[in-house]
Amino acid sequence: MPTRPGLISADHKAAGGKLLRVRMTISDDTPPLIQTLHITGDFFMHPEEAIEDLEQLLIGAPLDETALRERVQTFFDGDVQVVGADVDDVVAALLKAA
Amino acid sequence: MAKQEWRLLLTGDMSAFDNMALDEAVLRCVVAGTSPSTLRFYGWKPSAVSIGYFQGIEQEVDLDVCREKGVDVIRRLTGGGAVFHEHGSEITYSLAIKDDYPGIPRKVLDSYTLLCGGLVAGFRRLGLDAEFKPINDILVNGKKISGNAQTRRFGGILQHGTLLCDVNPHLMFSLLKVPSEKIRDKLIAGVEERVTSIRREMGTVDKDAVIEAMCAGFAEVLQIKLVPGPLTAEELTLAERLKEERYANPAWTYKR
Repeated sequence: MPTRPGLISADHKAAGGKLLRVRMTISDDTPPLIQTLHITGDFFMHPEEAIEDLEQLLIGAPLDETALRERVQTFFDGDVQVVGADVDDVVAALLKAA
Repeated sequence: MAKQEWRLLLTGDMSAFDNMALDEAVLRCVVAGTSPSTLRFYGWKPSAVSIGYFQGIEQEVDLDVCREKGVDVIRRLTGGGAVFHEHGSEITYSLAIKDDYPGIPRKVLDSYTLLCGGLVAGFRRLGLDAEFKPINDILVNGKKISGNAQTRRFGGILQHGTLLCDVNPHLMFSLLKVPSEKIRDKLIAGVEERVTSIRREMGTVDKDAVIEAMCAGFAEVLQIKLVPGPLTAEELTLAERLKEERYANPAWTYKR
């Protein structure tokens, strides 16, 4: 994966039309690790503050599809309702930035 | 079963900060049991851009242009997208109920279908061919006329949304960040194609008649009786505090 360390970002349009935007800094490891992460966009999440839990859960994760999917799935399996984006959308947005 | 009595609140035009603070204050008082379930209608003065809870303000809004044009910018308690609330061009509603209100689906998506059903019934009373389009839109003749957003907090449900009276995509996209001028033109054309307004559909806008129709629509769909009532002193005091602590506070507005 020819990813340079530093600040990377991507926008991903979910199937329902909502936009997921990710901005993150990544390390120069192989694969790179997520150091900071902001997920923004016009989706819905209940409770809203859970977005910070999702971001925290992904910090330290390698930018690798299996590892990301496992963490995002754990979050979605919790007591949270995300409307307008699903596990695949979040993973796709993260990988698109890489 | 006797129909539930709800309060109908008509608060007229207010600033974005007062409007959003009042929505939250009413929700909190409904949950506390000091205010009844409430349906409110309001407008915006001055015009404002509201962004969804999860949006990055710098990513979405051209703050310099907003300042220049005297347009307020505010972060909502609800998710969803950026909305331009033009003074005079929109009727906004909010409804606040407890989260265990009888018959409200636990799934947010399903509850949009139910609650937006009140608006669909209202538009139909105005003779318009309205339908709910998931996730959170209402269409008339296949074009968007209303966007809606919900939050569930503090033990309650707050849903608010717009009823578009006039649409001004040129002004709207001058206030929002877009990747390029070419894309700006495309976005404006997209809104002209996919968004409609009460004026476009009816030839005229009689706001009182629209509000009356929406009230009848909600009363029909939710089997409620709407009784006009005032804001309480508790709500006004709480709203002042919420305005200061949250909605007019840069720490909130710029948090993402």
